[in-house]
Amino acid sequence: MRLAGQTILFLVLAFLIGPFILICVAGLSGGETLAFPPEGLSLRWVARVFEVESFRATFAVSITLGIGATLLALLIGVPAAYGLERYNPPGANVIRNVLSSPIIVPGIIVGLALLRHLVIPLGVGILPALFIGHTALLIPYAVRIVSGSLVNLRVDIEEAAVLLGASRLQSFTKVVLPNIRNGIMAAFIIGFITSFNQVPVSLFLTGPGVSTLPIDMMAYMEFNYDPSIAALSGLLALMSLVIVLVAEKLLGLSRYV
Amino acid sequence: MFQDRRLGLALLAPATLFILLGFLLPVAILLSGAFQTPEGWGFSSFTEFFAKPLHREVFWRTFRLGLYVTTISAVIGYAVALSIVDASDKRKGRLVATLVLPLMISPVARTYAWVVILGKTGIVNQFLTGTGILDTPARILFSETAIFIGLIQLFFPLMVLPLISALENLPRDVVPAARMLGANWLQVFWKIILPLTREGLVVGGTLVFVGSLTAYVTPAILGGSKVLMLETLLYQRVSVANDFAAAGVIAVILIVMSIVTNVVLKRLATRKGGK
Repeated sequence: MRLAGQTILFLVLAFLIGPFILICVAGLSGGETLAFPPEGLSLRWVARVFEVESFRATFAVSITLGIGATLLALLIGVPAAYGLERYNPPGANVIRNVLSSPIIVPGIIVGLALLRHLVIPLGVGILPALFIGHTALLIPYAVRIVSGSLVNLRVDIEEAAVLLGASRLQSFTKVVLPNIRNGIMAAFIIGFITSFNQVPVSLFLTGPGVSTLPIDMMAYMEFNYDPSIAALSGLLALMSLVIVLVAEKLLGLSRYV
Repeated sequence: MFQDRRLGLALLAPATLFILLGFLLPVAILLSGAFQTPEGWGFSSFTEFFAKPLHREVFWRTFRLGLYVTTISAVIGYAVALSIVDASDKRKGRLVATLVLPLMISPVARTYAWVVILGKTGIVNQFLTGTGILDTPARILFSETAIFIGLIQLFFPLMVLPLISALENLPRDVVPAARMLGANWLQVFWKIILPLTREGLVVGGTLVFVGSLTAYVTPAILGGSKVLMLETLLYQRVSVANDFAAAGVIAVILIVMSIVTNVVLKRLATRKGGK
């Protein structure tokens, strides 16, 4: 029984992790087309990734979008979490549902809705629309993770701060914020990764000149069968790995997922 | 200290207004469009949509793949979760990290790996033709099988992680006690483990089922333009044919399926007693 369990465990982990190793190796190919085992090893396709103009441009868009949308989601999400956890205002349950609704709605619908009913009738630009869509998607994560930190923070210390003469704002910035800093940083990292990897929301919100990296990769792979997407996939996997490992070491990220 | 309800509402206002105006309102307008007909309100978009055999085929394929992926994930998920829970704390931490990590990596990168494996010149075909089992490469990519494999890899961790936490909350002695009283492993699983971890199963099942129904990247890369699921059909209808009626219908179907799954499964999880 135990042996069977261990075998299944090993096979499943190989199934989950194996493809990553394959794609990294395939990206190190020296040949012209995507193949495994690769025809000789070289870094030419890794170097090529940095030369493709559209990859560079869309990488910049994805990074900016990821950071910007996550910051805005936190800027309005942290006060919302604080309001929900501490003040328990009228209609809190309805508001909670509203704030978590972007999780239930499939991303592709959000993108299409923003295109049809924001970009086209109101003349909003593609980039602001992407920004709105991504921020809406990230607010539920920001609220949930920060709420979790607030629940674990005792209310007494805030009351003590106010009794000792701090204003509401001071007690929030000097007492609450430092104590939920790790939660906010974890929410930032999870939000950034979610936005950076996001495809469905962005799908309809790209146009000539504006696209995100994952969308551009999908467009590229449709017409090219060279190892550059494999090399880029390997690089992205590596980037996520580094971010997650550093965050795990500093914050214990997995507690917040 | 926290009695000032107006201040509470003021703190909630920016995020709530943002979601209402920038998200719920556009989505609501889009969804309501699916119920508009030339004569007013009605379901004619839906009857037109389902009148096309291709659309029915895509609908059932999406539903079927969702069920398969969820069922297989649950079966293998229990086996994996049980052996992870048995491991020492240090090993358990490492195994859980191995399951969480893929969730952080771009789905495009994760899915593209299967092109290398299942493609015409991929590993599987090299093996099949190299060993003489097949004369010409088999068409594995751009099939339902390829989508199925990709979805399992994408969503499996979302099933196992809730199962692990459910199993960790299982009272320590129940399994040994049942064994001592003569139950075999199958009975232990059906009568003890399954009912006591039902909540974890439901959480994981919801994530995997809804995730599969609403997947875009996997069917787009591994199904191609022929083997469509609902989201790839939606994209194709809009980008190729400007067919916003069909897009609205698919949007309604996806949202209804997603909400119904969430509600129905949550009911199942909280239902007292069980059978």
